[in-house]
Amino acid sequence: MKGFLKVTVALFMVLVATMALSAQSNYPTKAIQVIVPAGPGGDTDLNCRLMAKYLEKELGQPVVIVNVNGAGGTLGTRKVKDAAPDGYTALFFHPSMFLNKILGLVDYNFTAFENAGIGVLDNTNIFVVNASSPYKSITDVIAASKAKPGSIKFATETGGLTHIQALAFESEADVKMNIVDVGSASQKIVALLGKQVDMIGISYGIIKDYVASGRFRVVGVFADERNPAFPTVPTFKEQGVNLSFTKFFFYLFPKGTPQDIIAKFDAALAKVAVNKDLQAELAKFMVSPTYVKPADALKYMTEQEAMYNKYKDLITNAKVTKEEVKQ
Amino acid sequence: MLTMFAAGLTAVFTIPNILMIILGVFVGIVFGCIPGLTTTMAVALCLPLTFGMNSTVAMSLIMGLYIGGTSGGLISAILINIPGTPASVATCFDGHPMAKRGEAGKALGIGVVYSFIGTALSIIVLVFLAPPVAEFALQFGPVEYFALAVFSLTMIGTLAGKQLAKGISVGLLGMVIAFVGIAPIDAYSRFTFGIADLDGGFDILPALIGLFAVSEILNVAEADTVLKKQNILMEFKIKGFGFSLKEFIGQTWNMIRSALIGIGIGILPGIGAGTSNLVAYGVAKSSSKHPEKFGTGIIDGIVASETSNNATIGGAIIPLLTLGIPGDTVTAIILGGLMVHGLTPGPLLFINNGTVVYGIFVSLIIANIVMLAMEFFGLRVFAKLLRVPKHILLPIVFVLCAVGAFGLNNRVFDVWVALGFGVLGYVLTKLKFPTSPMILGIILGPMAETGFRRGAQLYSGDFSQFLTRPIADIFLVAAVGMIVFIGLGNMRNKKKEEAAKA
Repeated sequence: MKGFLKVTVALFMVLVATMALSAQSNYPTKAIQVIVPAGPGGDTDLNCRLMAKYLEKELGQPVVIVNVNGAGGTLGTRKVKDAAPDGYTALFFHPSMFLNKILGLVDYNFTAFENAGIGVLDNTNIFVVNASSPYKSITDVIAASKAKPGSIKFATETGGLTHIQALAFESEADVKMNIVDVGSASQKIVALLGKQVDMIGISYGIIKDYVASGRFRVVGVFADERNPAFPTVPTFKEQGVNLSFTKFFFYLFPKGTPQDIIAKFDAALAKVAVNKDLQAELAKFMVSPTYVKPADALKYMTEQEAMYNKYKDLITNAKVTKEEVKQ
Repeated sequence: MLTMFAAGLTAVFTIPNILMIILGVFVGIVFGCIPGLTTTMAVALCLPLTFGMNSTVAMSLIMGLYIGGTSGGLISAILINIPGTPASVATCFDGHPMAKRGEAGKALGIGVVYSFIGTALSIIVLVFLAPPVAEFALQFGPVEYFALAVFSLTMIGTLAGKQLAKGISVGLLGMVIAFVGIAPIDAYSRFTFGIADLDGGFDILPALIGLFAVSEILNVAEADTVLKKQNILMEFKIKGFGFSLKEFIGQTWNMIRSALIGIGIGILPGIGAGTSNLVAYGVAKSSSKHPEKFGTGIIDGIVASETSNNATIGGAIIPLLTLGIPGDTVTAIILGGLMVHGLTPGPLLFINNGTVVYGIFVSLIIANIVMLAMEFFGLRVFAKLLRVPKHILLPIVFVLCAVGAFGLNNRVFDVWVALGFGVLGYVLTKLKFPTSPMILGIILGPMAETGFRRGAQLYSGDFSQFLTRPIADIFLVAAVGMIVFIGLGNMRNKKKEEAAKA
């Protein structure tokens, strides 16, 4: 009996050792969890699922999407931060992560993780008005705001990317709007359709049918150049507002994940990004798979964070501003 | 429209599609009747499986899941007094007492038939009135949501019955519990005590699992009769659906009213069947000639709850298809599913993908019929559950509750929340506090708060807007009326009791 026990223990140790080794050299040997810090059905979730479909083929193991929603995405980011750094838990998120730190929801940023690169770019950040509104361009909106500060009701989700965009727009164009919270993307659409607000910030892919059916009008896109998918929409820069925003989706692993594992994941990501089928699938949402390797991604994200940090005071003082508007 | 309907019918009426619907309804019922597992989870789990299918097959499966799941919750609500999903909390109130009386078959029969009718009525509204109804829903801004939440909160008074003070305090406790976490709009952390897990607050599902499932299990475990055989077997006899034509006719108005409440709540984004069943039950009770009989196992209660929760389905699909805006948590996931299949719900869906839209309508109709048939023939099988000794059945349910709480957001923390609420629910029941008002408080508290603060923001602090908007006024007046009505009823009861004592 004693011998049996010894053999079992020995076998078990060999097994553990093999598993630990194989985790390094044969990665991946089991399913990889990708945490999406948002609910199912949104753009983060959709992009992540489509990417996963192709990543699975490259990695040879299932890529399982796990939605950990709540508290502005911080529950999900924290879960990955605290996960074992074995390469089997990754995070898929976008610049809202920067805002979580700016707003004080968390005390860490992406440097508390290992960077695994950028996978998807969304250059369709737009401001939209109801088609029956008198504003034809962002210039009209600026003129109206200058004539009567605070008269334009702009709907956003407080602490979201469009909130920063609105504050940056106010600062750059030297205007005051009444920035109100209405909630998620679909609630913004309701508010604009019901004419409860004058303008919303959103991604083009979500409202393209409303533009086609003549109910919404796009007054500007935050990009360096016009988007080939909707070339009639002028950029903010063309209209004299020197602003450009890109929503990008990146992968992060817990700090301490071995570099060779990240390199393997990254190689798969690079291959997936040039896959024609994936490009076609993502094009439906007007976003594109774009691979940026970890070192460059880290540099880009640091620059972007600095840019968002410029507006830090605006967002923390937002309440004071609103009271000024009332007077 | 007829030609479109015919096109939808031909698209869906193939053997693989019908099999998919049958599979969907079956899996839906299983998820629905297991406490802790919800319709939302069933759809979320099956959705990735549909990515490889064509859109008609995928939608057949999803619609089957949706209808089966929403209806399935009635089974455990009636048989073991534990709601299978948030949609069937109110079904317990009268369904279980009826079953205890030895009429489990009748209670199930009523639940099944009115689930079918609720879905059918909502599909009719969906097919014929979707665009105008969706346009009407656009009139609902934050102020209207605030007013609706205030009105719905008055249902606490009805649900509490004679224990008005206790009911109100439990409802308020629910609202306070909902404060925990990152606040809406300005993102301040409230009552989190620096615990990162509390940032997201208490989710409604673990709270519900705790209050209704875990506490019920604790209550049953405490009773010393658990192991005695006579407590295991309940009488079970059924003919047809177990109720008479006369009883059916007597419920006509209750049925229509509950269906309208279900459809209405379904249409509004953000609230779904978890709210509609309680509101419909509350309204049925307060407008009944014999409110004191509610909770003793009468037909009216089951009809109100089961008609309204299934009517929410058609309601929630209306804004989904016409505006691309989900009406509840299930349709929020379906929205993502449609987009993966290259279909963008919204103003152009009917024009560009009419066949798919009518295919969805046809799938819903077929799934509804399949649900009726499957649950009718299943009645006898479900009732066998009663033969499983409770000391075996309930531990299994307990484990499934933990799985369900974890599965919501893949967090162990939510399992602790469910257990914590279980103890809370147990203590409250011991002290004779009703627990259902807490659920209303947890769901409606944040809705009222968010509506109020957004309204104040939108109108730059001009509070007259809260009183001068017609739709909001209707709800506020109804809320005041309800409070007066409940107050008077309570005073009358007190006098009667005093007279009886004297």
